[in-house]
Amino acid sequence: MRSDYFDEPLRRRELLQGGAGLALALGLAGCGVGDEPAGSTKKVAKAKVIKAQPDGDLVYFNWAEYLDPKLIKEFEKRYGVKVRESNFDSMNGMMAKLRSGNRYDLIFPTADWAQRLRAGNQLLRFDKEQLKNTGTVYDYFAKPWYDPTADHTVPYALYASGILYRTDKVEMTGSWNDLALDSARGKTYLLDDYQEVLGAGNFVVGADLNSKDPADIEKSKQWALDLKPKLRGFSTDDIQNLVGGNAWIHHGWNGDVVNVRNQVKKPENYSFQKCSEGLPLGTDCLAIPANAEHPGTALAFIDFILEPENASRNIEYMGYPMPYTGPDETFAELVKTDPSINVKIEDLENGDQFRDLGADGRRLWDDAWTEIKAA
Amino acid sequence: MNAGDRFAGRFLIPGGLWLLAFFAVPFVIVVALSFGTPGELGGALYGWYPENYSRAFDPVFLPVLLRSVGYAVATVALCLALGYPVAYYIARFGGRHKHVLIALVVMPFFVNYLVRTYAMVALLSDEGVVNGVLGLDDPVRFLNNPFAVIGGLVYGYLAFMILPVYAALDRMDPALIEAGKDLYGSDWSTFWHVTWPTTFQGVLAGTVLVFLPAVGDFVAAQLLGGPGTYMIGNLIQQQFFGAENWPFGAALTVLMMAFLFVWMVLYLRSAARASQEATA
Repeated sequence: MRSDYFDEPLRRRELLQGGAGLALALGLAGCGVGDEPAGSTKKVAKAKVIKAQPDGDLVYFNWAEYLDPKLIKEFEKRYGVKVRESNFDSMNGMMAKLRSGNRYDLIFPTADWAQRLRAGNQLLRFDKEQLKNTGTVYDYFAKPWYDPTADHTVPYALYASGILYRTDKVEMTGSWNDLALDSARGKTYLLDDYQEVLGAGNFVVGADLNSKDPADIEKSKQWALDLKPKLRGFSTDDIQNLVGGNAWIHHGWNGDVVNVRNQVKKPENYSFQKCSEGLPLGTDCLAIPANAEHPGTALAFIDFILEPENASRNIEYMGYPMPYTGPDETFAELVKTDPSINVKIEDLENGDQFRDLGADGRRLWDDAWTEIKAA
Repeated sequence: MNAGDRFAGRFLIPGGLWLLAFFAVPFVIVVALSFGTPGELGGALYGWYPENYSRAFDPVFLPVLLRSVGYAVATVALCLALGYPVAYYIARFGGRHKHVLIALVVMPFFVNYLVRTYAMVALLSDEGVVNGVLGLDDPVRFLNNPFAVIGGLVYGYLAFMILPVYAALDRMDPALIEAGKDLYGSDWSTFWHVTWPTTFQGVLAGTVLVFLPAVGDFVAAQLLGGPGTYMIGNLIQQQFFGAENWPFGAALTVLMMAFLFVWMVLYLRSAARASQEATA
């Protein structure tokens, strides 16, 4: 159970500050709300190196069930700090919270969102020397496309998007159109994420994953609209929808099937399908917002997660490959029994990754998505 | 202004400041946002973009408006059907337990609406408590349809109907009913010609108190609804948390408030007329 909207009420002080800022903001028409780079913190960051040492409680902002809670407990114990956890259920939701002035110490953006945040000076540039355990990170991430200096993000996990399904309930054919199977009518969910839905649609209509051609997006939108009568809902909570039995077919992410299997009585009934028309791939990152209050604790936490033993345990819990030599053997074990959930670094090099669409592209996709939801 | 008035006037200061800080100022921000344009990193750039308003009248959003109003009307009707008898019973036959019974009506409100809605999910999901008790091979699909949304709204706002209706019934002099009966009115005609008109202002207040939050609600549709139960509240929420389009979300909010304001004014005028008639 979680809520994206109510877990973090606006603090009174922030509201008052917003009020005080109003007169100024109105006077300076053209200035953005929350578009100022987080000034003071950034200056401090440049002036002195932030050490990977706890400097307060960790305000942690992640997907739900995406990191072993036992590791969080152990981190709290080792460093004598609290981890204050809240969850987002989409990248847009994460961004909205950041932009409305909430301060977090650690966030988990996907690569394309990390790139946007970095370009907008919203991510803390950290001193790589502070992280002792990054030696195991794959070479691919020495200069990733979304963070060429590799000092604003650390890769957390690789993922692929496809379809999770109940092997005891439905016969799959390997296509994205399995989302329209009548055998799971009313038991099918699409991800509540405009990139994932329109991206999958783009593959189905033969377009590029990140197409910005309005004709492609129109076709992709129509594909989603045609699916709608068969759906039970839009949700990013693929784990709980499957565990609770409401979903037999769920547009979702590869590793989540491992998490589902950990929670159900008959794990053999749950599987993941990569779809033949195209496979969206991505990287989730660890990053520290530029206005973080406790960047030292955040760095210590990142280093803690990178410890090979901790990473291995985390992989067993959440089911996604972490791109670190050593812990990847744990994932190799998981994949031995279920190759369908594998994502390799070569896939990432050659495959289709979500990219930032730019303002106009985002607008095009957003508008199509709003129509899909409103219909 | 005499001294007494000035003294009484001071009582308005805390509430006035509160309204200024938490209603007037945020409202001005929302209006300013509604003429803005989305920023590169979400958020908004202020400016003059009235197209946010013209977009709201795009026919693709018409189903959302009709759906929201439809759900809210159904919610009001059900709340009235369920709430009036409860209020009637408590007011007329509650006796010395009246206050306990009213406290029981209010009790669920000690728990946040969101939490109560989640509780409905836990109770009614396919493998939830109710289906567990029923024990059918094919679980009943209670959730993710319009009925679940309306049910959630009724559950969420029922007390807003019961309380004003109860207050109206409680104020009503029971002798009026006896008088109706003395004039050979049947139970039903006494109710229809005496009790109902006397308590109508309470019903109207309850209707407004239920309708206004229900039509703008997004929690019920979000948690209990399906793909086809999108309401205005969801559309607005989507603009802020899903589409990085705060300005359009703000424009929808302003239009929504204008729409609700019309109903509020109609209600206030009716209430004012009724109280004039009562004192006349």
